Amino acid sequence: MQATFPLIVPFLTAILGVLMIRPSARRRAAFAASAGAQLIYAVWMLGNVSANGPTVLYLGGWSAPFGIAIVVDHIAAIMVVLTALTALSCILFGYLEVSGRNEHPLRLPLVQFLILGINLSVMTGDLFNLFVAFEVMLLSSYALLTLEADDWDVRQAFPYLAINLFASALLVAVCGFAYGLFGTLNFAQIALRAQEMSGDPLLVAFGMFAMIVFGIKAGLFPMYYWLPNAYPIMPIALAALFGGMLTKVGIYVLLRLFGTLLPHDMDYLYTTLAWLAAGTMFFGVLGAASRTYIRGILSFHILSQVGFMMLAISLMTPYAFAAAILYMGHNIIVKSSLFLVGGATLVLNRTDRLDRTGNLWERTPVLGVTFLLLALSLSGIPPLSGFWGKYMIVVAGFTAGEYVLVAIAIITGLLTLFSMLKIWLGAFWQKNEAAPVRIEDRSWVPMTGIIAVMTVISLVIGLFPEYFIQLCMTAAHELLDKESYIQLVLGTAP
Amino acid sequence: MFLVSALLVGILFAVSTYLILQGSFVRILFGFILIANAANLVLLSMTGDPRGRSAPVVLDEAVPMADPLPQALILTAIVIGFAVSAYLVFLLYRIFLDWKTDDALALFAKKKPTDV
Repeated sequence: MQATFPLIVPFLTAILGVLMIRPSARRRAAFAASAGAQLIYAVWMLGNVSANGPTVLYLGGWSAPFGIAIVVDHIAAIMVVLTALTALSCILFGYLEVSGRNEHPLRLPLVQFLILGINLSVMTGDLFNLFVAFEVMLLSSYALLTLEADDWDVRQAFPYLAINLFASALLVAVCGFAYGLFGTLNFAQIALRAQEMSGDPLLVAFGMFAMIVFGIKAGLFPMYYWLPNAYPIMPIALAALFGGMLTKVGIYVLLRLFGTLLPHDMDYLYTTLAWLAAGTMFFGVLGAASRTYIRGILSFHILSQVGFMMLAISLMTPYAFAAAILYMGHNIIVKSSLFLVGGATLVLNRTDRLDRTGNLWERTPVLGVTFLLLALSLSGIPPLSGFWGKYMIVVAGFTAGEYVLVAIAIITGLLTLFSMLKIWLGAFWQKNEAAPVRIEDRSWVPMTGIIAVMTVISLVIGLFPEYFIQLCMTAAHELLDKESYIQLVLGTAP
Repeated sequence: MFLVSALLVGILFAVSTYLILQGSFVRILFGFILIANAANLVLLSMTGDPRGRSAPVVLDEAVPMADPLPQALILTAIVIGFAVSAYLVFLLYRIFLDWKTDDALALFAKKKPTDV
């Protein structure tokens, strides 16, 4: 039953928001309260899953392979917590960014539909239901992308929409192939039947096709062009939510696909994924180095870090999976906070173009300290949170003997540091006569407060990693343990 | 039967890819509508050959039933595809109003004045 709350509450909140469409302080408070309640519930759910083990909810009471099963295991609970955390901070930041009168009345309901789509994507145990959840998420994201875009920027929504529509059509075809191959769409039964078909070349074709579909959603090289130009056109609070969560849902599906659904002997597929991941991280970080405004740099960085996670997935060991999950958790928190720092810069300097920003370190050192901690964490400097994920990925890579890929990962880490330094020098350190700091706009103070809370969470992950690594190891073992998953969902031993 | 639907799916995918890669908005729109139908046809063809099988609602003990699930699935997929197509129409129309062009290539020919 615990699975219903993260689905029902965003849905009802969104409906309520559409019904009371007029902007008011009470409406905003209701949305914030709902987001807060979702976060508290998500944390409780994660604790419950850790204590009592994963649970399954059969929708409508239909038994497993026929109805839709909603599975709450560790990885799903972790994703729900991360979604709720990012959503809460982005919603609050959005309140500070625009006044209630200037906010588009549909923004908050659409954010709730987006959360609904993400939560359903990570909890569902059915391939076609996953497609539906993706569509809920993507339709809200299309709408949010163009909701407040100006006449110039609206063109960037077109490549975003085109690529995602194409990928969605392929996803329908993947569902069709899965049904044709396995005669079922239930994850557990697919896992069961795929294991029996182990070694069948049709399985490789299916895996490759699914990898391309979810790779497009996650921003895999060379299919990522749609992402880095589209995200900067959004209001920064939304860009932070998108940048934090959307590509990571694709990563989650890849974890599920390779870990749970397909047999573990598809080496050809893993090698392809590993090299595409290397391309993603390297070209992503090069793209980031070429951009000269904060949102552009950060949007390209999303790709580079998605590449890290995919590299970890392609290594296919529990340790590497745990590394991918830990890195994903760290990245969601740090990436959204960095976008929010960009938002604070936008308030203080009225722009985030690095040649027109400056003087922030002098006037707002607290914001500078949070940025520094977040940026170093993103680059993987010990003992911050990014270090542990990267360290584990590198160790997993060395264990697997993939020296070239690890070298690319380390070079990417250095280039990440370079582009973070670019923001640091441009926005914080440089003394720029042309960049007055509007310190009198006091909304930067609570903004910095939100960023500081996120930074503290990232610091806690970095300084006390034992608990988090344990959690990720449990989640990784669970993802790779097909037998338990099948047993859990179908209720019979395979 | 299977070969025919496979060929049809192939042709539909090829035609729609060609249309999507054109510059004109109308062709792009038709391309996306067509590709959604091509994907739906993939789903539908997973029912298998319906000849010699009874319709899902007729319970005839002697004749096996045609698989009804892909039909339920494509109903969902059609509805979603319809919603997304509607959104695409509106987006293209808004871009047309803002940019006074119906050519996708012309959109990215100009640089935003504030871009660097």
